[in-house]
Amino acid sequence: MIAIIGAGPAGLAAARAIALAGISVTVIDAAQKPGGQYWRHRSTVDGYKATRSEKYFSTVMGNPLVTYINGAQVWSATRSEKSIHINYLQSGVEKILACTDLILTTGAYDRSLPFTGWDKPGSMTPGAAQALLKGHGVIAGKSIVISGTGPFLLPVAVGLAAGGAKVEGVFEANSPLRWLRSPLALLLNPEKALELLYYLKQFRRYSIPVRFGKAVTEFTGHSVRISDVNSDLTIKKANVQEIECNGIAAGWGFVPDITLGGILGCNQVVDKDGTVIFSTDHQQRSSVSNIWIAGEATGIGGSDLALAEGHIAGLSVIGKRIPISLLFSRFRKELFARALQVSYPVNPGWKKWLNRETLICRCEEVTCGQILDSVEELKAEDARTSKLFTRAGMGLCQGRICSRNVAEVIGASKEVSVTDSERIAYSNRPIAAPISLGTLGDGISSK
Amino acid sequence: MQKNNPDAIVIGAGIVGACSALSLTNAGLKVMIIDRGSVASGTTGAGEGNILVSDKDPGPELTLALKSRDLWFELQEDVGDSFELEAKGGVVVARHDSSALMKLAEHQRAAGVTAERVNSAELHKLEPYLHPDLSEGVFYPQDAQCQPMLAAARIIQTVLARGGQLVSQARVTGFEISENSIKGVVTSRGTFHAPLVVNASGTWAGEIAALAGSQLPIAPRKGFILVTEPAPQYIFHKVYDSDYVANVASSDADLQTSTVVEGTRSGTILIGASRERIGFDGSMNYEIVRKLAAQATSLFPVLRDVQLLRVYRGFRPYAPDHLPVIGEDSLISGLWHSAGHEGAGIGLAPGSAALITDAILGRVSFMDAQAFSPQRFAGAL
Ligand SMILES: Cc1cc2nc3c(=O)[nH]c(=O)nc-3n(C[C@H](O)[C@H](O)[C@H](O)COP(=O)(O)OP(=O)(O)OC[C@H]3O[C@@H](n4cnc5c(N)ncnc54)[C@H](O)[C@@H]3O)c2cc1C
Ligand SMILES: Cc1cc2nc3c(=O)[nH]c(=O)nc-3n(C[C@H](O)[C@H](O)[C@H](O)COP(=O)(O)OP(=O)(O)OC[C@H]3O[C@@H](n4cnc5c(N)ncnc54)[C@H](O)[C@@H]3O)c2cc1C
Repeated sequence: MIAIIGAGPAGLAAARAIALAGISVTVIDAAQKPGGQYWRHRSTVDGYKATRSEKYFSTVMGNPLVTYINGAQVWSATRSEKSIHINYLQSGVEKILACTDLILTTGAYDRSLPFTGWDKPGSMTPGAAQALLKGHGVIAGKSIVISGTGPFLLPVAVGLAAGGAKVEGVFEANSPLRWLRSPLALLLNPEKALELLYYLKQFRRYSIPVRFGKAVTEFTGHSVRISDVNSDLTIKKANVQEIECNGIAAGWGFVPDITLGGILGCNQVVDKDGTVIFSTDHQQRSSVSNIWIAGEATGIGGSDLALAEGHIAGLSVIGKRIPISLLFSRFRKELFARALQVSYPVNPGWKKWLNRETLICRCEEVTCGQILDSVEELKAEDARTSKLFTRAGMGLCQGRICSRNVAEVIGASKEVSVTDSERIAYSNRPIAAPISLGTLGDGISSK
Repeated sequence: MQKNNPDAIVIGAGIVGACSALSLTNAGLKVMIIDRGSVASGTTGAGEGNILVSDKDPGPELTLALKSRDLWFELQEDVGDSFELEAKGGVVVARHDSSALMKLAEHQRAAGVTAERVNSAELHKLEPYLHPDLSEGVFYPQDAQCQPMLAAARIIQTVLARGGQLVSQARVTGFEISENSIKGVVTSRGTFHAPLVVNASGTWAGEIAALAGSQLPIAPRKGFILVTEPAPQYIFHKVYDSDYVANVASSDADLQTSTVVEGTRSGTILIGASRERIGFDGSMNYEIVRKLAAQATSLFPVLRDVQLLRVYRGFRPYAPDHLPVIGEDSLISGLWHSAGHEGAGIGLAPGSAALITDAILGRVSFMDAQAFSPQRFAGAL
């Protein structure tokens, strides 16, 4: 029995490869609709070639070989010699799926950096902005500023504009000239130029201004203040511009969601950009036998790379040969992913934007000053100890949003870099989703 | 690193090391604390902060616990800062047959513990959300709690303010010993000299003793704790069922779960804890988590709808007879141990610190520490 957790591009590509070989597979995903982070919202993200996803939806959905379990939040998983048990919650009821082989394609979520006012209503991540637009249409008619770094800001801006929002501007912190550092990646991925042209056209259509070397460093609730930033993200000139708006969507790359693979004991490494990812072999096999991992959880690379990796994982699980062309395709996209890292770094200067009052942990309302005090007075030396003293990272999100920022603020104040083991420690948690104590306890008798 | 050698080195920046360092400092010694990690990076940062007298049978540990509990409140005044110390009171609920619990309470009363038998009405007045079928219990107003990591940090902060030193990220790898007397501690950050060393390295105290060529039978006893989302105040005291008392004292290697349920200031509810002797095996065990949840909801049905957010685990340091080891090493003079406090290290830390300081300085202490002597294992290993 083969199971896939995650119905994003990687999971769908894996399911498709397996189903096309005539083998049955179960796909499980927390969302109601398939597609993952980006495709799920495709009607709101006016993405380049967004219709490509149809090919995957059509082979996977309604295929008798594919069992699709939606609205199913996996909260834990266990493995024994023979099988892997996936414990999930569906409409508040706990269920268990047993499989022999598992493909994890749990994706990634937006990374947030703290800045003054990021905790105010109206401040969100690009991913959340999309979901809002889709879910409730509340964005329509509002004016929004987009800030951060990365090519993913472009489709979000276009999607919001197409959905009726007034996008006041996209403020990309990094310079486009950084792309010149990755000539080979550009050469091997010529189709990306077409994608860029597509977005430029859309930007003209919706009159969305794009500015480089700038970032939103304050949100007042009804306006944003924009600063010029240097390449290390320190502020070159503060508050050069103020724009009236209802909302700010700020995204600083992605954080791979490694929780489930971590629970199952899959080996992790720290990527060049400081994110914790899984180490996999050329066939996407993790360090644990019978577990494959594909997509963003093995390194941020965009949906094209996720598709290639998912395809390879699917073929590998059923023991099929992986065509050289597919391996080359993944190589090409990996090069592009590396180029993305080089072109859109989140350099350490953002910490200089903070003042003592800036909230770092929104759930528990812990300020930058409290974290610095925990270092200075209480001798915290890492995110874990600071958390014990200040509660930063102990709230509802369990540090998914803030623990990396806490670690980096502490590292900066002590002028040391965050160690790999600390990064791995704060990225893992034993419970992948909240579960009620009643449901949890009842699970005993049902077994 | 420093010009003047300290008078004493304390190994371990957990609660036991912190309290020992402060009491030695207050006795006029210059103290250096060494830890391989940072403050509270060991078991002190992985447990709860119950300061209990209710779970102990009359005997040396209860005597220590009673004194220690009072010392916690003195300590708070000395440190002059808050670590969320609160005399919250404990409620022990008789789950099945209440006779064992009532007998224990009677013995405890004779030993100086305030233990009030409560009937059904009183019980539900103390804890309105308790399962209606539970009808008898004992109320222990002396039971208290603190935030142990904050306590360790505030205490160490005080030691530093009074001239002590903290050397963190320094792993102890050996000792300098001549003629069976301690001369210094060798660490990954250099060698530090002192004629007195207190081994307060908790679960790792046996390893430290071995580095000095001695022995101490301290082993890990693993425990899980559940943390929920913030909830309305459903729980007003530390509430546990009487099976807990039996489990604490048991030396059975098998898994035991018996819940202590309590609310915290932040609104989260803590549910602890399991007890297992399976070495330093850090892996998750969801069956234990389920058991703890089932026990907590059977005490408080209202908790059924509260979401579990987090689970964490730690390794309690325990000795074969479940008593802490407090006193001078049986082979090496100048090497003192204060370790092996098992599931009560937070509660017992200030009392243990007083005992070891008195012993080091040759002062008369509040109790006879013979039962805790490291000598009790000499030859037995
Ligand atoms: C705002 C935004 C815009 C983007 N724009 C582009 C773009 O223009 N071009 C591009 O190439 N890429 C874009 N991306 C990136 C793209 O979303 C990812 O590269 C792609 O989705 C990665 O696919 P994946 O399969 O690895 O993971 P995802 O698509 O993230 O899918 C992971 C799935 O796993 C599920 N899952 C995770 N954990 C659990 C659990 N515990 N229980 C149950 N289910 C779980 C999630 O619900 C999710 O559906 C964008 C991303 C965002 C956020
Ligand atoms: C789940 C659980 C719940 C608990 N609940 C309670 C409770 O409610 N009430 C209570 O009183 N107790 C409780 N305890 C027990 C309590 O946490 C411990 O007894 C107490 O923390 C022990 O403190 P310590 O200072 O001896 O050890 P630790 O806090 O472990 O400190 C020892 C220190 O020594 C350091 N160290 C180790 N080896 C070396 C080396 N080679 N070099 C340098 N440094 C070294 C470690 O880094 C560590 O910081 C609980 C424990 C657990 C696991």
